[in-house]
Amino acid sequence: MKKVRALLQASVLASLILTACAGPAAPTAAPSEGTTAPATEPTTAPATGGDAEPSELRIAWGQDPDTLNPAYSFLAVSYTIFDLMYSALVKEGPNGEYYGDLADTWEVSDDGLTWTYTLRPNIVFHDGTPLVAEDVAWMINTIKDDPEGWAALNSYTAGFVEATAPDVGTVVITTDYPISNMNYRVSVLYAVKRADFEGFTTAEELQNFTNAEGVGTGAYKLVTYDTDQGVVIMEANADFYAGAPAIDRLIFQTFDSGDAQVQAFRAGDVDLLYDVPSTAVETVRGIAGTTVVQRPTRGFTELIVNATLPDNDPAPTGNPALADLAVRQAMSHAINKQDIVDIVWQGLARPEWSIIAPAFSGGFYHNDAITDHAFSLDSAREVLDAAGWVPGSDGVREKDGMRLEFRLEFDADSDSYPRIADLIATNFREVGMEATPAAVDSDTLIARTTGVGDFDLVIWGWGGSDPDPDFMLSIMTCGQFVSGGWSDSGYCNEEYDMLYAEQQAALDPAERQRIIHEMQALLFRDLPYIVLTNEDSVQAYRSDLFTGFPDYTADSTYGLGLTDAYVLRQAQPVP
Amino acid sequence: MTRTDVILRKFALAAVTIAVVVLLNFILFRVLPGDPVRAVIGRGVRISAETQAALRVQFGLDKPVFPDQFIDTLGQWAQGNLGVSWSQRRPVAEVLVAKLGNTLLLITAGQLLSIILGVGLGLLAGWRRKTALDVGALTFSLITWATPTFWLGIILLVAGSAWLGLPTAGSRDPGNVGKPMLEVLPDIAEHLILPTLTFTLVYLGQYMLIMRSSVLEVLSEDYILTAKAKGLTVWQTLTRHALKNALLPVVTLIALNLGFTVAGAIYIETVFSYDGLGRLFQEALNRQDYPLLQGAFLLLAVAVVGSNLLADLIYAYLDPRVKTT
Repeated sequence: MKKVRALLQASVLASLILTACAGPAAPTAAPSEGTTAPATEPTTAPATGGDAEPSELRIAWGQDPDTLNPAYSFLAVSYTIFDLMYSALVKEGPNGEYYGDLADTWEVSDDGLTWTYTLRPNIVFHDGTPLVAEDVAWMINTIKDDPEGWAALNSYTAGFVEATAPDVGTVVITTDYPISNMNYRVSVLYAVKRADFEGFTTAEELQNFTNAEGVGTGAYKLVTYDTDQGVVIMEANADFYAGAPAIDRLIFQTFDSGDAQVQAFRAGDVDLLYDVPSTAVETVRGIAGTTVVQRPTRGFTELIVNATLPDNDPAPTGNPALADLAVRQAMSHAINKQDIVDIVWQGLARPEWSIIAPAFSGGFYHNDAITDHAFSLDSAREVLDAAGWVPGSDGVREKDGMRLEFRLEFDADSDSYPRIADLIATNFREVGMEATPAAVDSDTLIARTTGVGDFDLVIWGWGGSDPDPDFMLSIMTCGQFVSGGWSDSGYCNEEYDMLYAEQQAALDPAERQRIIHEMQALLFRDLPYIVLTNEDSVQAYRSDLFTGFPDYTADSTYGLGLTDAYVLRQAQPVP
Repeated sequence: MTRTDVILRKFALAAVTIAVVVLLNFILFRVLPGDPVRAVIGRGVRISAETQAALRVQFGLDKPVFPDQFIDTLGQWAQGNLGVSWSQRRPVAEVLVAKLGNTLLLITAGQLLSIILGVGLGLLAGWRRKTALDVGALTFSLITWATPTFWLGIILLVAGSAWLGLPTAGSRDPGNVGKPMLEVLPDIAEHLILPTLTFTLVYLGQYMLIMRSSVLEVLSEDYILTAKAKGLTVWQTLTRHALKNALLPVVTLIALNLGFTVAGAIYIETVFSYDGLGRLFQEALNRQDYPLLQGAFLLLAVAVVGSNLLADLIYAYLDPRVKTT
């Protein structure tokens, strides 16, 4: 009896702990997917006959919104809902440009400090009240003036002086300095209903607001939001400026298990899979009447190399051999990225070298002039030989008392990283470097990397949810290497920081492109990150029931996902 | 010692145990590495270091763990307030209550079925030892007990949704969200079928095995021989003499299981996307949501200790010998 009891207790405890540790991968964060844009505004698909039964699109996803309050929302799925229920001055279109959403036209002054947006006429909230320019200006100023309460969006107003509404149809934003990614910034400053958001006296009160009955001006109205059941239901907005969308109802349902999602899709319980698990892609392809959409994300997986400066406080603990560029180059040569793509990502990725993935603005910012170090164990050996790293008695190379021995750590939540670590360790061993893989929980990794430099090599990834390259570029600036900042490599290069500031102010896209290309060249030269792969996102929908979705195979740079408001507005039920 | 004394002492012990668990949990969560603010907002979110610092102040994380944070927490609890969840931004009590109902439904249905079927099968198998019935029941129980819950759940989910058209996720249809429970009872029941079946199959085996061995032991006792010699029928022997004694170990097992399953059958809830406590625990841990974790583990501690207490009391009823010990 005792044994059974102990066994039971142990197994229950173990399962508690196990499930706790092996939870779903950390959510990717921030604003919605997609990059590029049409010159023309999207047309809404014609509505189906009035007497027909309301059409319903049921969407399965793996995570429910943290809140529907844009002031304090950090999960990508929440921004999918915001995009549907709220309008912004402009929104990102499919190919890297921005289209006018609330704004009909917009222009920037010659000094780049004043942005004038002319609103479309007759925009109304879901409750029937009209939206006026003052609503938008109030919103922007409120976000700007309350960094704690509007924690999630405040950084998008950095450099704003103020927003004003000279008349009901015009919004003017003045800035401290020219802001190159202004379109992107205002695309997440959602026009919320002022009455919903003005009554809060403290930041905490505002943050605790779930906005379960939020009112916006977007293509879909929020009908039901239930945090406990993980259900969001939306209905087509008949008063939407471009006409009511053809699909009458959207139901988002949260599934905790990828297998259950696929089964629900197969059984016809859901019509669209927001994120097909990589192990299930082939299964889903085999389901009749299904279209699988595979497109490159802006996310990537990298090997972080400890580049922390020796005079950092606290002192870094990285192997000093990592300061030798030859060692980093040899690593880059020695890693077989194609193997990682084939074995770990099951072909749903590509080898990549840059933190600015090709999917940013349809390839506009990716520096195509650079060719990655070719995978070649011989080249790796040659580089190390030339730099004076000589194999010791145990095969591990040495020089001046230093040995090419490294900790190779990764986020324990991931089931892909251990396999990548094994591949890398094997590659390294063949050229005389020893890497010891170890799983570490993500919080510890953050604490040991950011601002500290207590590591050698770390395998990690970025979701790349921001459609603008600015954030991705910022993680390599000196100022971010502090506790609470985003730099984990410790890279610090004055030239890079200068270019970073320049690209923020470069209003001419070609100029900004040139600077960003140069920044990528610097990172490729110095290798604080050895970027490994750029992954795909896979979605699927029932094409026998719904039509009007873009042909993703015809436009490989189409940057918007299936649930983006711009895309859903064009979809319609098969008659 | 009188009986009242014994019971009072047991209650006092239970209270002390819960207090110790609370203290341990408080420390345990805070020695976990990492920064809850970062865990709540995730990696790659644009939120300035200043704002993160402001959140830290709001959460009380800027103060020392001892005594400040601990006293703050106790002070809150003393007022009957479990605090506000950092990740969900709702009162912890509200979140727990919302999930507890679903979990209780699932556990009650699953436990009742598995107890009835398990005990019944165990009794039959013990009584009909070494027959085809015994071997069959034993094999069945061993297999279901040894089957990974997650796997069994997926198999049932696939079969149930494909052949019987049963729902694949949630505790009710999305269209019925927000409606009063009584109105949508059939829908709720339909959503309970597969999770309950999984639960029953997983737990049934333990009850059956314990019951069977317990029955075998009891049947070899002299008083059973006496009963048979008195000319009692098999049924009378089993129900009047064997059952009550054979049930003792099962009661312990039931009580223990009840306590632990309040944490939700995490695997089952995950497979069927059933919004119960198990999923909540996992999410709270992932996001280092201290107030939610503390509230959830308080609930769990009370459930485990409470059901152990209950087992003790039932034991005293079933077995007169333990009354005054």
